[in-house]
Amino acid sequence: MSIAGDISSSAPRFHLSKDVEQLLYRLLAAGLLCVALSVMTDAFLTTNNILNVLRQASLLFFLAAGLTLVILTGGLDLSVGANIGLSACLAATVIKVTGSPVLGTLAGLGAGCAVGICNGLMVAKLRIPSFIATYGMLWVLHGITYYYMAGETIHGFPPGFRQIGSGYFLGIPIPVYLMIGFLLAGTIFAQRTVWGQQIYAIGANPVAARLTGIPVDRRLILVYAFSGAMAGVASIVFLARLNSAEGDIGEAMTLPAIAAVLIGGASLFGGVGSVFGTFVGALILTLVLNGMNLLAVNASWQPLVTGVIVVFAVWLDMRGRRRT
Amino acid sequence: MSDQTLSSPAPRLPAVPGVAVALGLLAALFSVASPGFLSAGNLSNILVQSVILLLLALPMTLIIMTEGLDLSMGAVLTLASLVLALIVVSTKSLALGLAGALGVGLAFGLVNGWLVSVLSIPPFVATLGTLGAAQGLALIVSDGQSVVGIPRFVRQVYSGEVAGLPMPILIGAGFYALFHVLLYHTRFGTYVCALGGNRDALTLAGVKWRRLLVAVYMLGGAMAGVAALLMTARMNAGHPTAAIGMEFDAIAAVALGGTSFEKGKGWIFGTLLGVITVGVLRNGLNLMAVPSSVQVACIGALVIFALFLDGMRSHKS
Amino acid sequence: MRAVMERTPRLELAAPFPASGAPLLELKGISKSFPGVKALDDVSFAVWPGEVHMLLGENGAGKSSLMKILCGAYQADQGEYVHEGKRVEIRSPADARRLGIAVIFQEFSLVPHLDIAQNIFLGREFASKIPGLVDRRRLYREAKAVLDLVGLDMDPRTKVHSLGVAQQQMVEIAKALSQEARILVMDEPTAALSDRETERLFEVMRQLQAKGVAIVYISHRMAEVFALGDRITVLRDGRLVGRALPGETSPDELVRMMVGRNVDMTYPRRFATEPGAVVLEVTGMSARNGIRDIDLKVRAGEIVGLCGLVGSGRTEVARAIFGADEVTAGEVRIFGRRQTGGPDAAAVAGVGLIPESRKSEGLALIRTVGENLAVAGLPRLFPNMLFSPGRARRTAEELIARMRIATPSPNQSVAVLSGGNQQKVVIGKWLAAGTRLFIFDEPTRGIDVGAKSEIFALIDQLVAEGAAVLMISSEQAEIVHVCDRAYVMRGKRIVGELSRADLSEENIVRMGMHHE
Repeated sequence: MSIAGDISSSAPRFHLSKDVEQLLYRLLAAGLLCVALSVMTDAFLTTNNILNVLRQASLLFFLAAGLTLVILTGGLDLSVGANIGLSACLAATVIKVTGSPVLGTLAGLGAGCAVGICNGLMVAKLRIPSFIATYGMLWVLHGITYYYMAGETIHGFPPGFRQIGSGYFLGIPIPVYLMIGFLLAGTIFAQRTVWGQQIYAIGANPVAARLTGIPVDRRLILVYAFSGAMAGVASIVFLARLNSAEGDIGEAMTLPAIAAVLIGGASLFGGVGSVFGTFVGALILTLVLNGMNLLAVNASWQPLVTGVIVVFAVWLDMRGRRRT
Repeated sequence: MSDQTLSSPAPRLPAVPGVAVALGLLAALFSVASPGFLSAGNLSNILVQSVILLLLALPMTLIIMTEGLDLSMGAVLTLASLVLALIVVSTKSLALGLAGALGVGLAFGLVNGWLVSVLSIPPFVATLGTLGAAQGLALIVSDGQSVVGIPRFVRQVYSGEVAGLPMPILIGAGFYALFHVLLYHTRFGTYVCALGGNRDALTLAGVKWRRLLVAVYMLGGAMAGVAALLMTARMNAGHPTAAIGMEFDAIAAVALGGTSFEKGKGWIFGTLLGVITVGVLRNGLNLMAVPSSVQVACIGALVIFALFLDGMRSHKS
Repeated sequence: MRAVMERTPRLELAAPFPASGAPLLELKGISKSFPGVKALDDVSFAVWPGEVHMLLGENGAGKSSLMKILCGAYQADQGEYVHEGKRVEIRSPADARRLGIAVIFQEFSLVPHLDIAQNIFLGREFASKIPGLVDRRRLYREAKAVLDLVGLDMDPRTKVHSLGVAQQQMVEIAKALSQEARILVMDEPTAALSDRETERLFEVMRQLQAKGVAIVYISHRMAEVFALGDRITVLRDGRLVGRALPGETSPDELVRMMVGRNVDMTYPRRFATEPGAVVLEVTGMSARNGIRDIDLKVRAGEIVGLCGLVGSGRTEVARAIFGADEVTAGEVRIFGRRQTGGPDAAAVAGVGLIPESRKSEGLALIRTVGENLAVAGLPRLFPNMLFSPGRARRTAEELIARMRIATPSPNQSVAVLSGGNQQKVVIGKWLAAGTRLFIFDEPTRGIDVGAKSEIFALIDQLVAEGAAVLMISSEQAEIVHVCDRAYVMRGKRIVGELSRADLSEENIVRMGMHHE
């Protein structure tokens, strides 16, 4: 806010916009993590492990990418993990019944999207605060999925379908290609379409956005539908990777997904963040968890570490806001 | 403004609260659907089983009144229950065990309160983070195993009777009375209301509200510690996933009871009714042999409905 | 074009008040800065027991900062406080209260879901004999006594959220009185009150005065200033610019002190000879926000004023036309086509709203000037829905040049611009959207004089190019000098229309007043 700061930022010297600078810090953090892990463990810098990290990051990224758009509008979707459970179990059933992976995939995506639309309607039309609406939805989905699965597991899918999750192309896992695809698509959508720009505007000031003629309700529904659909995508890849579906399949994914978005620089207050940032955030989180794994830290520490990271990321954001 | 006068508005008939209607309808439904529902034994059973939920819902009411939320309560309860079980098993001292459980609760309450009040982190994220932390710690201290071998005297806390009344009922009634007094007859209660309604008013009145807000979350943690005692006594064990998600039932009960997520509007008797409604719903669905997963879904739907009504009401006024 | 700035003569400052005895409270050389703004600059101010001290100044003159410093909500960077001859510190609201200072803010400091008594005694609850509890019986008894004092005949157990605005105002006053205040600060207390309630308040004030309470009274109503005031202090741009006694000054002189220029500021307006086609036609419109039976018309090339007192329903009319509040009866036609739907539909039809609160409703403060300028025009600029940053930047640069927005680049954060430049950004976003009907709600609020002229020059340019303008303003001089016609509102209805020939401040005030 200081006058001196304004002048230097407008001076004709090489300078980066604040967003790019923030991203570079995050990339630097990811790089440092890699270096540290290669020094600390022998297992880190192996092709296998790197590919493994990328594949795990991709699963997280699908979920986090959809969530990024929601958080850009200043909302939150706590139902994404439970949504994976429902979509995966539905897709698994359809594949088993019809024998068609295509129909199964469509069913999974459709279910995820439908849940997202419900969330969007609750937030936009019923005006229920998003964190509480999607929290209620979480338990509704949880209940439905557990009831439907009744503790059973559905497993054994056609090899072709399993390729989506565990196959390789040119030595690189298929999910990594999907991740790159969604990264490009998501970035183009957020940065290079009118809808994307309007989503940023809604998050920056929803009241002003409405009074600027942006159809806020429709955009909100769209965003939650996207988030749901991305949960559907994650469920399909997850299903293909695990080759089995259980009711609790995505339960532990919500917190990491939120963490990835927040590490990626998005603000819970809306209007700030990017899909690419979330990609970097997903990488950082996966590297941390992978490193803990390689260092033989008990897996029980993972939710704790993730929780601390979430709080820390929000605190960083708050601190940055107070300064400006 | 000219149509406004300074005289009192005509006394309105007290509207029947939605939660009472829901409770009545559910009770009627279940007494028709399953004959065992209306038996004295079952009704007392409902009350006894609702006590743990009540212990969480009471402080949750205060937290929600401050426009906050505590998603970590179920996980903190689980962790406290494990710590209590471990201490009691090794020292055979209930007092030490309870102190441990309360310590865990207060510590998490302090962290939650600090994050929300001092760092101004939105409550749902702050407590989502501590939820992860508590869940992780629960797995770590228990190594993923149940803690068994609880001495018999611990069980008495849940199954014992005093003057013919079950212990849990007495404990529940005691804490209900305590919270009623706290909310309606102390400065603290007035300030809790103002924390959600108008923090500037508190600042102007010279009240240091940040400390109060920390205290509200610490109260929530402490009550999770108390609930952990009942939970451990009831299950006769400490279980690493015992109360996961229980905060949702608590939030549901509070929301059903008419406490609003905005403007510091709270009603402690409504929370009691909300707790009983959730208890009746769970019990009735149990009697009808509906699996617990569907019960969860029903409660989820009920909460969304309650919030929708809440929104409608506030839109009208 | 810029109004002539007059240096305030040093004389006025030097003229001392004929004070009887020592002042109750004296502030000396108070300064307070916020990032980028000097809110108060070396202001000295004193109140004597039993007087009503009028504090005047335009928006942003520093009145509210001074009040907040008085009540301890802000701390001064420099300056000292002298209370009954002794130097004191006011570091917190508690300090202020100890000195007997009570403030009635315009934004209420009430808690909606507490009852009247709890609100009155918030932070000062009576301890009961049982430790830790509040003596509720005493609470309600004392509350009732205070309510009787202000003449509010209500049960002190009534929850504040069920009260009307006027009743809440009276509770605020009761709250301040209950503190046994020796210095009572009131910020436009009559803005929301009816005549009867206002009289009641004045009566209470006279009682307090007789008891030796000093009252600092902020008002925009000249009648009140002269009817109630014992002394007058005028602030402008954070500085003390004048002191006066009501018997020795005139409204014109006070206004001149407040605005720092001659009242006859020139407004850039080239009146057209004949208006164009009807752009906006509202017939029999009622809306959920309370307005009733609104009929109005705006033609191309015309600036139509919408005036009346604050709370008369002007903003509500603007919001209903724009689709932001639901219309329940009647119709809105834009270019002859009936308008339904929300603000998005209105924007497509060519309507743009420049809302009163720029920062909360007009701009996304965390975004850049360029992003704010492009946001309304997105669908028009990028009909194939693909956004091009280069094109958006060029559009923004064109607008910045055309409207002379003072910003180093479109990448500058909009939050750091001055009020006038921010207002230009809000107008500019509608220019990018190709808007044909501009609805201005208090377009010059919080904008300095030079920028005001620029804004009006811009509005004049818009209508010269064939746009239609509906303008809400509380500054009647603006309406009189700028508008072709004006509608006057009172009590959520339009009560009259004034043609260019009849447009005068007297006529507006006469039509807009409560009585007659």
